[in-house]
Amino acid sequence: MLCKKQRIKVKTIAIERIKRLFEMADYMFHINSELSHRYVELARRIAMRCKVRIPRELRRKFCHRCYRFLRPGVNCRVRLVKRREPHIAITCLECGNVMRLNLEGLKREGER
Amino acid sequence: MPITPQNILNHELIGLRAKVVKSTHQGYVGIEGLVVDETMKTLKIMDDKGCIKVIPKSCCTIRFKLPGNVIVEVEGPYLLGRPEDRVKRVVKRRW
Repeated sequence: MLCKKQRIKVKTIAIERIKRLFEMADYMFHINSELSHRYVELARRIAMRCKVRIPRELRRKFCHRCYRFLRPGVNCRVRLVKRREPHIAITCLECGNVMRLNLEGLKREGER
Repeated sequence: MPITPQNILNHELIGLRAKVVKSTHQGYVGIEGLVVDETMKTLKIMDDKGCIKVIPKSCCTIRFKLPGNVIVEVEGPYLLGRPEDRVKRVVKRRW
């Protein structure tokens, strides 16, 4: 069992590692896309092991069904949908899964 | 908390420049490049030609270049373990 100070340190390092992995996934995507999918897997494992959440802006960068790294225009499609509840629809072109982000919710949090 | 020589054992190795400086097998010595993947017992290093080399952690001493031009030499056995397990591990330091 770690003391409180060490637990905080573990969590800050974990979040930083997750950010670094997503940066590398972004960089590696055009060189070797298989590696960037692997980095998403590693980032998710770190998050689960250290009980931290993946930061919100990074959570949209991978498919939640097949856990592939998503790059708009290459392997995912981003559309604004007005009807029904206005939302952003992100379609993964690898597996066909659709992620929907509610626009009202994003507006409330002060995001674009 | 950026990556420093103090916390390199718990931190991310993917994305750093690395060079094998010492090994029990001479064939591994001198391999240099970007760390692209990590498993429980190996590191995968991509050299400048784009070729991926697999290096066992247990028998090599590896020199990492950290941001800010800090150079650290780490003995491989300290790096053994799955990347997600290394975050939590506490190593008693004798240096």
